[in-house]
Amino acid sequence: MKRWFDLRRRSAGLWAFRLHRLSGIGLVLYLYLHLAVLNQLRGGPGRWDAFVALARSPLFLALDVILLGGVLIHGLNGLRLTLLGFGRGLRWQKQLFWVALTLSVVLMGWGAVAMFRR
Amino acid sequence: MEQMEQIKMGSGRWGWLLQAVSGILLVVLVGLHWVAQHFLAAGGLRTYADVAAYLRQPVIFGLETAFLIVVTTHALLGVRAILLDLGLGPRADHVLRWALALVGAATVGYGLDLTLAVIR
Repeated sequence: MKRWFDLRRRSAGLWAFRLHRLSGIGLVLYLYLHLAVLNQLRGGPGRWDAFVALARSPLFLALDVILLGGVLIHGLNGLRLTLLGFGRGLRWQKQLFWVALTLSVVLMGWGAVAMFRR
Repeated sequence: MEQMEQIKMGSGRWGWLLQAVSGILLVVLVGLHWVAQHFLAAGGLRTYADVAAYLRQPVIFGLETAFLIVVTTHALLGVRAILLDLGLGPRADHVLRWALALVGAATVGYGLDLTLAVIR
């Protein structure tokens, strides 16, 4: 794991690898946190609706925006890795990383505006 | 391509292929889940009555169940890939595969049980 944090290695491919691993770990932790939170549904409408009111607060929405960013970069970089794994786009792997990163930031910004407006 | 080969060799060809296929499916399923839960629901999140009505639709129930299975598979394959990357040996990997299969089955079972409890 030391290699993941070795800042002397700065290639775009390595940054993509680090981002993919770290966002993946974050998303696995979130998956189980999300499933645990959904258990509140067993408490019926009173318990769930009280949670929903809390989850509509700006703090929770901000956390949702961070989650959206993690999902976007992991998903779009994952598509890039899949293409490369099948031997496609090898010559443009760095450019594809920057496209994935840029798209993630743009969609995260759009998603943030959409979520806070609701 | 050093990282790419590392990922593929670490997970094994079949593990990598399943990870890639489940990942492609997830892009679609996460997109649908996110839009349905955050952009279409009034106020950005569903109330209990809305969640129950939403999950009672057969197509939605199928999609959410598929999402649960695919996301759990992808997540646990990812955990395995990271542990192999950190130097886990073949014997430990054998045990790990069974352990992750059990965790996966428990996760899907928990999610389905919760879903059925809500729509009943």
